[in-house]
Amino acid sequence: MRIIITLLILFNLSFVQSVAQAEKFSINPNKIFKNLRCLICQGQSVGDSNSEFAQTIKLVVKDQIKEGKSEKEIYEFLIEKYGEWIVYKPLFNKVNFLLWLFPYLVFVAGGTIIILFLKKSNNH
Amino acid sequence: MLSNFGNTLLFLNLLLGVLIIYFSVGEFQNSKITISKKIYQLCLFQITFVIISFLTLITAFIISDFSIITVYQNSHSLKPLLYKISGTWGNHEGSLLLWVIILTIFSFFFLIYSKNHQKNYRIISLIIQNILILGFLFFLIFNSNPFSIIAPTPKEGLGLNPILQDPALAIHPPLLYIGFVGSSIYFSAAMSSLITNYSGKLFAQSIKNWVLISWSFQTLGILAGSIWAYYELGWGGFWFWDPVENASLLPWFAMSALLHSIMVLEKRNQLYFWVIILCLLTFILSVTGTFLVRSGILNSVHTFANDPSRGLYILIFLSLMIFASVFLFFNKFKNSNYGFYSNSRETFILINNWFMIFYLITILLGTIYPIFTEVLTDYKVSVGPPFYNTVIIPIVVLFLFFMSIGPRIKWIKNKSYNLNLLFKILLASILINFLITYFFNSYSFLSNFIIISALFLIISSLLDLNKSFKKKEINSSRVTSHLAFGFLILFIGLNHNFSLEEDFNLKLGEKKKFDNYSIEFTDLKLKDFENYKAVIGKFQINNLKKNLNQFLYPEIRIYDNPKTITYEASIRSSFLKDYYITMSNVDRSDYYNIKFQKKPFMMWIWISAIFISLGGFLRLFHNAKKNY
Repeated sequence: MRIIITLLILFNLSFVQSVAQAEKFSINPNKIFKNLRCLICQGQSVGDSNSEFAQTIKLVVKDQIKEGKSEKEIYEFLIEKYGEWIVYKPLFNKVNFLLWLFPYLVFVAGGTIIILFLKKSNNH
Repeated sequence: MLSNFGNTLLFLNLLLGVLIIYFSVGEFQNSKITISKKIYQLCLFQITFVIISFLTLITAFIISDFSIITVYQNSHSLKPLLYKISGTWGNHEGSLLLWVIILTIFSFFFLIYSKNHQKNYRIISLIIQNILILGFLFFLIFNSNPFSIIAPTPKEGLGLNPILQDPALAIHPPLLYIGFVGSSIYFSAAMSSLITNYSGKLFAQSIKNWVLISWSFQTLGILAGSIWAYYELGWGGFWFWDPVENASLLPWFAMSALLHSIMVLEKRNQLYFWVIILCLLTFILSVTGTFLVRSGILNSVHTFANDPSRGLYILIFLSLMIFASVFLFFNKFKNSNYGFYSNSRETFILINNWFMIFYLITILLGTIYPIFTEVLTDYKVSVGPPFYNTVIIPIVVLFLFFMSIGPRIKWIKNKSYNLNLLFKILLASILINFLITYFFNSYSFLSNFIIISALFLIISSLLDLNKSFKKKEINSSRVTSHLAFGFLILFIGLNHNFSLEEDFNLKLGEKKKFDNYSIEFTDLKLKDFENYKAVIGKFQINNLKKNLNQFLYPEIRIYDNPKTITYEASIRSSFLKDYYITMSNVDRSDYYNIKFQKKPFMMWIWISAIFISLGGFLRLFHNAKKNY
């Protein structure tokens, strides 16, 4: 039984992996638009906004894709121009490391507390 | 006239609040076991007056009494009746009055339905709840008075923001408020429980239905907000991790944790202090959310007119609440003995709480982090969907597995695991996932895990449902909610991965082809409506594979009062998928920017969320039947 499942999972994943690799060659501009803040709007992404600013950014991104830049390079370009405020995924740096690490710290701490709690109550 | 009447009622309420507290304190001298009639009568007056004052405000909106500033700023005589009424709570002042009403209603019904409980506990709960009522009433009367007048009386109102003129948004605030303002009653009860040492099972019994009520309504309120965002904001998403959406989600996680752990307190008389923390936390988070939304320190899609003095008042009130609850808690906290077996239902409920707290803290951190970086380092960051998706989704997978297994584990001590069955369920889930990816012909690595774990929860809940039918157990509330939650995650996963989105510019008469679709811009009309003008496009969507034709009509609306342009999506919903089109004009050209989306299973996301909350109502119904 277990063997069948392991095989199935492996099969499932490798199948997916090969497709994912095939997708790497084309960047989806919509995905990038969604990850950019429309700076003149109230809490909307570039992809969701109809504003002129959003239209301009969309053109810029599309041009950069045509030039063959990678997703990461496009973000770096925009951050340099508009500041980190424009990307919805905060960079992992010395200002944001707490934001990225703290949730996992809470997760591990929570698990540890439960284990300690159960150990303690089993001893009674 | 209406203004004076409303104001008088509010002041009477202030007086009643003080009187209730005064006489309640007097009750301690009274040696009778029951609370004296006087207090019931005062509470009855209190609830009547507050409801009449609300009806007064609604009347002012209906008859368009523009001598009242709130009405002048948020209504217009030409508005449809429904939106005149919903305009009452579609603004800061009116919604704050709604807030006070719900505090009062919960106070009254808690008093009536807690007759089997100790007198001191009830009296102190009533006092604390009335302190909350007074706090918000003060704020309402002296800072945000909905009955303030303007002179000379304007002839016409400024109108309600058009994107708020929507049925889903009309019911969104009342539902949401019943949820998170309703949590005030177990805040008061928890404080009272600490003060009077009325703890354990009895305490759990006295608040469990209130937790259920607020949780069920909160779920519906969040749903209404997200349906509104889906078809009104025009970007085709239903959840954006916007700070205001997060503010409604934070108390929901605390309530969900409470909903589960309170069962441990009721059945096993354990986790008392943890339950107390959750009770206090839920309402504190609700007020925090209100503070974040109304002080305007966050950048969000919601546009409450901002005023720093409001923020300051709520912040002071919030700090007092937090200080009082922390102080009282540590004063009363005792380390008690626990008798938990690691393999028991109790443990799994703790695991549920562990995940809930993780989600809660992650979302809270993401919401307030930008404020801290800006204040401390003058560095502006945006924490948006990619952050939450990256941090939360992998953990959801694990959570769903625990959620499937938990309900199969027995209370106190579980004897055996049916590992064989679990393996079979896992196998079935993987197979179905395989079929899904094959059928849709599109993949993403992480979504496999989400879909498999959601299927795992669905299948195991279905088996539970089948078992309870065989045993003729009527109480299937838990299965309903868990099953619906599984479906919710499954449909969100499918929707997320298999949506099709195209963004392009078209001129009238042009055609665009991609994948299996062709979209033709066939017509453009200008139409005049009662309170707006509209540019209506006509688009023919052709599914080349199935040779199906459909027409969609997105609009650009120009409203007069207030002057606003909105982009109305045209949505064709069906059981399996939604087609979604928005158009907007491109400046200085004949082209229109078109956004076309195919979103599978949208309707099922809404239905699943309704069933999650239905589970809560079923349990409530079941509890009520058991008691009578």
